[in-house]
Amino acid sequence: MPETQVVRSLSTAIRQTIALARRSTLELFRQPALVVPSLIFPLFFSFLGNSSFGKTTSLPGFPQVSSYLQFQLAGTITQGVLFGSVTGAAALATDIENGFFDRLLASPTSRTSILFGRLAGSTLFGALETAVFILVLLPFGADVAAGVPGIIAMTISGALIALAVGALMASVALKTGSSEAVQGTFPLLFILLFFSSAFFPRETMSGIYRTIAGLNPISHLVEGLRALSLEGFTASATARAILVPLAIAIFALLVAQTQLRARLRAN
Amino acid sequence: MSNSPIIAENLVRHFGDVHAVKGINLEVKAGEVFGFLGPNGAGKSTAVRMLTTLLRPTSGTARVAGFDVVKQADQVRRSIGVALQDAAIDPLMTGAELLALQAVLYGIPASVLKKRSDELLERVGLTAAASRRVSTYSGGMRRRLDLALSLIHQPTVLFLDEPTTGLDPMSRLTLWEEVRRLNREGTTVMLTTQYLEEADQLADRIAIIDHGKIVREGKPADLKASVGAPTLIIKTNIDQTEKAKSVLSTFGDLRPGAEGALGVGLIGGAALVTEVVRKLDEAGVHVAHLEINEPSLDDVFAEATGYRLEGADNAPSAGDNGDNGDEKPKKKSRRGRK
Repeated sequence: MPETQVVRSLSTAIRQTIALARRSTLELFRQPALVVPSLIFPLFFSFLGNSSFGKTTSLPGFPQVSSYLQFQLAGTITQGVLFGSVTGAAALATDIENGFFDRLLASPTSRTSILFGRLAGSTLFGALETAVFILVLLPFGADVAAGVPGIIAMTISGALIALAVGALMASVALKTGSSEAVQGTFPLLFILLFFSSAFFPRETMSGIYRTIAGLNPISHLVEGLRALSLEGFTASATARAILVPLAIAIFALLVAQTQLRARLRAN
Repeated sequence: MSNSPIIAENLVRHFGDVHAVKGINLEVKAGEVFGFLGPNGAGKSTAVRMLTTLLRPTSGTARVAGFDVVKQADQVRRSIGVALQDAAIDPLMTGAELLALQAVLYGIPASVLKKRSDELLERVGLTAAASRRVSTYSGGMRRRLDLALSLIHQPTVLFLDEPTTGLDPMSRLTLWEEVRRLNREGTTVMLTTQYLEEADQLADRIAIIDHGKIVREGKPADLKASVGAPTLIIKTNIDQTEKAKSVLSTFGDLRPGAEGALGVGLIGGAALVTEVVRKLDEAGVHVAHLEINEPSLDDVFAEATGYRLEGADNAPSAGDNGDNGDEKPKKKSRRGRK
């Protein structure tokens, strides 16, 4: 393919992705019933956890924190982003169910743009959720040791977590074409979240629970974010916060792309 | 090679054991309105989905707008407009937003978008509703928006899959008028329909599809003329059906009638009605209802398939998009030609 044609194709694909991302974002914000719970419930759990487990910060193995909320902030962000990403993937499944996906396939839209456009909406929402959680919890003691640069890095990390989880959930949507199947993963995510270090440090865990938490990718996503919150804006903390979700996002995107190809081949 | 905008050669599509389309051949000429007529489950939507690149044929070939639907799918997509019956319009977006999205997807420059979008909204009568969310639109408005969306890139070939199913009579007429107008402007239109009147009113030529096969094809007038004699329809008591058939068969070929009625092609024309009534009376058949109809597309359909489309229960059957060539939908009026 000549170089100019490649550039033109790429430019068209980018325009299409932006247009579809705009649609998925508009669609999300026009359904407050979907957006509000993703923001409210993690905050509710955060305040509940602070009241219930506030004194656990003095347990041996618990990191040095100014309050349980400071420790919990990363878990709250991850929890909100996980649930928000399910919503985005369910919307993709709904597109498949109601035929909007076919409308896109019947047009000369780049197939990758269809997937990336949907995920871009989830990613933006993930960034927004992260910023909201930090800003709401900050006055209550959820300090971010890394300061403003750390808040920016955490927002990027939150967006990458949204992309990673969104891509995995999009794979389920593409595989099954069923919004119910995507929503059905919600309890699984909840279990994964509780079997992670989202609410307590791995150092305070024991036995099988500790092993599972160590293997659980959600623990590594949470701990990357937590490093910025607790350690400060260090190269190591920033790398963990950004690179771990980025690596998972790349893997998840490859899985989603494979599922998209499989769905297209099946037609 | 013919330069007709739609050509299908021995197009076949299987879904596992289900043979939805069993080798159709068709050629739609430039500037035609071509009607694909058949009940739900006949295979028409599957055929259209293959022609619009949404499904790969199991075998056979098709060229649309000069391009192969498999090897040059992207060029086909750029050249055609598609309004699918089962492709939803996002209810959370406004009409104007959806047109803008569609324009980007088809690579239309932003500089011409506003003008074209305004023209299309005016054309389909949705200018005032452009900034309203689609969830507030009526069924007819959604179909008109769907039509506008399919025209944003000014395609030369337009596929309309059951464009008026579920619409009220007024919305149906409005949409028919728009299809005629598009066709006058040079657009080749292929539409699928289960409505006889729609095919008769709009199509220059029609193909009747049943069980995944084209069973008749031609101009509506020619197809109706091919049936020949008018159809005499009578209704009688169930216990007198066999006696009535025996009498009617002496006047011509028996034809399927809808909803428990009996039909016969009166070879001698309408002048024989009195004679038929006399013979039925002599045979002791009580006639509860009698009517004589000039040949219609329903007669053509009945003659070709052995059952009537008019008054049929078009409940979707299993299979792709309700299409399943092996599963004939239940027809209240279905009866074999004797």
